[in-house]
Amino acid sequence: MATDVRKADVLVIGAGGAGVMAAVEAARAGAGVILLSKEPVGYGDTRIALGAMSTSPDTAAGDSEDAFVEDMIRGGEYLNDPRLVRALVADAMDATLTLEGFGHVFLRNREGVLTRMEVPPGGHRASRVISSPWLGVSMCHALRSAAARADIEVLEETVCSELLVEDGEVVGAAALRTMTGEPIALLAKSTVVAAGGAGSLYYPHTDCMPAVVGDSFGLGLRAGAELVDMEQVQFLPFGITHPPALLGIPCGEPVVAGPFGRLLNNRGEVVLENIMPMTRAQVARVIVEEIRKGGGTEHGGLLLDLAPNLKSREGEFFVAMLKKFAGPFLEGARKAYGREAAEFRVPWDVLPTAHYNMGGIRTDEWCRSRVPGLYACGQAQGGVMGGNRLGSTSLTEIFVFGKRAGRTAAEEARERGRADQGAACEALDRLRSLRGSRGSRRPVELKRRLQGLMWEKAGPLRDGQGLEKALDGIGAIREGAKNLRITDLSRCNQEILDAIELPHMLATAEAIVVSAQERRESRGAHVRSDFPGRDEEGPVQNILVEMRDGRCICRRREAGK
Amino acid sequence: MNIRISIRRVDPDKGGEPQWTDYEVPADERTTVLESLMYIYENTDPTLAFRFGCRFDKCGLCAVEVNGRPKMACFTEVEEGMKIGPLRGMPVVRDLVIDRAAYFEALRGLEIYIPEQGDRSTPQVIRQSEAHKKLLSCVECLACNATCPNYDFSKNPLSGPYVFVKLAQLHFDPRNTVDRRAQARELGVQSCAECRKCTCIHGINIRKQAIEVLTAQ
Ligand SMILES: Cc1cc2nc3c(=O)[nH]c(=O)nc-3n(C[C@H](O)[C@H](O)[C@H](O)COP(=O)(O)OP(=O)(O)OC[C@H]3O[C@@H](n4cnc5c(N)ncnc54)[C@H](O)[C@@H]3O)c2cc1C
Ligand code: SF4
Ligand code: SF4
Repeated sequence: MATDVRKADVLVIGAGGAGVMAAVEAARAGAGVILLSKEPVGYGDTRIALGAMSTSPDTAAGDSEDAFVEDMIRGGEYLNDPRLVRALVADAMDATLTLEGFGHVFLRNREGVLTRMEVPPGGHRASRVISSPWLGVSMCHALRSAAARADIEVLEETVCSELLVEDGEVVGAAALRTMTGEPIALLAKSTVVAAGGAGSLYYPHTDCMPAVVGDSFGLGLRAGAELVDMEQVQFLPFGITHPPALLGIPCGEPVVAGPFGRLLNNRGEVVLENIMPMTRAQVARVIVEEIRKGGGTEHGGLLLDLAPNLKSREGEFFVAMLKKFAGPFLEGARKAYGREAAEFRVPWDVLPTAHYNMGGIRTDEWCRSRVPGLYACGQAQGGVMGGNRLGSTSLTEIFVFGKRAGRTAAEEARERGRADQGAACEALDRLRSLRGSRGSRRPVELKRRLQGLMWEKAGPLRDGQGLEKALDGIGAIREGAKNLRITDLSRCNQEILDAIELPHMLATAEAIVVSAQERRESRGAHVRSDFPGRDEEGPVQNILVEMRDGRCICRRREAGK
Repeated sequence: MNIRISIRRVDPDKGGEPQWTDYEVPADERTTVLESLMYIYENTDPTLAFRFGCRFDKCGLCAVEVNGRPKMACFTEVEEGMKIGPLRGMPVVRDLVIDRAAYFEALRGLEIYIPEQGDRSTPQVIRQSEAHKKLLSCVECLACNATCPNYDFSKNPLSGPYVFVKLAQLHFDPRNTVDRRAQARELGVQSCAECRKCTCIHGINIRKQAIEVLTAQ
């Protein structure tokens, strides 16, 4: 059968918020665009977000761009790339308007005027946050519509297995149409990676979609890109512990504790109070340290007791706010722990859950990676959030940089030629060879082992010994991955999808672990029990990773430059 | 404790009729259908095909039929003897996976979008109705299509409640310029006036909020 080969000026991989924005913008700039995605268009973590997004600072209320930039960099513990932060803040209103032009409507007051919410998420000194009528899914109606309206070719449920590299340039990708099982070659002058983060590298300890397991980072690394600060994995401190079906489902971030919420251990002792102003990483750390000391409940968490909020005026106000703005968190608590719990009368059993990757593909403020032809945007990209992301800034990030990536990719495509089909031969052969492999290890078994290992050894609390074990474990799983057994079906063969994801997951896991070893301090979301404080000597450093001979190698560079 | 459930399996590549296959799965009173499907895939049958996503009823990917009624697999507790099949009325790619491709194409074909708004520097004044907000809660799980007795994908994949909900969304958008009622009439919404059997498993009142809106003069 002849191979399906398609040609584009700009190829976009991933169709969450960042990918759709990039594809639409590239088409507006006159490029011929192909947008492909593992899931249907408008899914990914964007679909399950709360839908709260930072827009531009309200200068009439005394807020300023500088203040917003400072908040993000202080929150990020000085690991952020200031050029990227300034770009995000400068374009925040433009991104808001563009998304509304897609069909979204952010919440407005009675007069129909866009209004920022009263209370901002932690770390913002002023509110820049606007919210969506119905969570991320309402945003995704607009994204799907915009992708339909644009003059672009859309390939839903198509998974990219690798990028094509010729003479050091990215020239397209190989992919599999998962519904039919057909391989497809995509030849492009510019390729944008917008395949999201790697939350599900920690499954089931995650609130992220199963499709985001680190493909962005694996694709980037293997094509020669550099990643930055991969050790910075954000864990939301409050995830559900049981029943098992709901393990990892989010039930809150520090703000949810309210002024009087507290964490209790299995002996009923207070482990932490005054939680509200703390960062997600600080709270997650306290929880995991107490559990390691033996204070965990039978379900492996700590108890978040919100009842003290019910006893005061301030607390009551807060409870009303929560009901209004944190609906899904309360729903999670209700589903897991019952109605009494959702009304704060019964404590919640909580455990941190993987939520977001601050680290990612290193780019300049126009989303160029160091590899010609390769761009990154959205959660795939690193450097924007530094060591800790402030709530509501990721949706800004994905639309701001999605737009920038689309535009740059389209402009620069004009100056590049297109590779010919030969560039895809080997990648397509590798893809075809998966189906019906007759080894002994199932890809899903190796995936689950890796996910367990990452949670145990490279989760919210790390140490040198554990990281060493993680690296050994990754090595062993990599060996296993050379000997896969895969069924011979072509239509929706989940095993082939697992086998495509596995090398990306291994590369991402290794990048996280070696970066975590290299950062011998606790900073941002990276917490090491053997280096409990920040390293205050010398300048703050970014940890960069690249792949050489199939292994991840680190180097450092002074941050903030 | 182990229980037995039955799953409707079919692979159009292999031809043949769909078959109900029994599986034994571990379950306690809170085990979900999704957990059971994952258990089967991971432990007993690597060939089982199904879709899933967020695990907490937000993304809309895991709708299946449980004992003949559409449910989200992630939020449905599994029970002895349950029969689990794909949403009816839509073509099956394999096992529990239905073909969703037509629904993206529907957005294009029916122009389910607002026109380009041009470059702006300040936000528009938009009064958004509560009805519009509620319609935006549709997670596109397609379960409603499976509850419509008249839905026939092979005749017209678009003539069903899911698309009516999408058209009603646009109808309520103040920036919309296309006559959504006329489009709905083309798709036969008039015959719904007598029927009203479709339901949304996520709480949208399809009859009031979509069909009555689209059939009004
Ligand atoms: C529960 C939850 C709530 C959140 N709430 C908020 C919030 O209120 N505000 C905020 O600012 N942020 C929030 N976030 C974070 C934010 O939602 C995400 O960071 C953001 O949506 C990521 O967008 P993205 O486009 O980069 O990636 P995603 O939306 O995850 O999209 C990635 C896309 O890539 C596809 N893909 C993956 N691998 C491949 C491959 N190999 N080939 C092809 N396609 C591939 C996926 O299918 C998907 O379509 C939340 C996150 C979660 C999990
Ligand atoms: S009213 Fe009846 S015919 Fe119309 S969409 Fe609903 S179920 Fe189908
Ligand atoms: S209307 Fe309801 S049942 Fe139909 S697709 Fe939307 S959420 Fe699903």
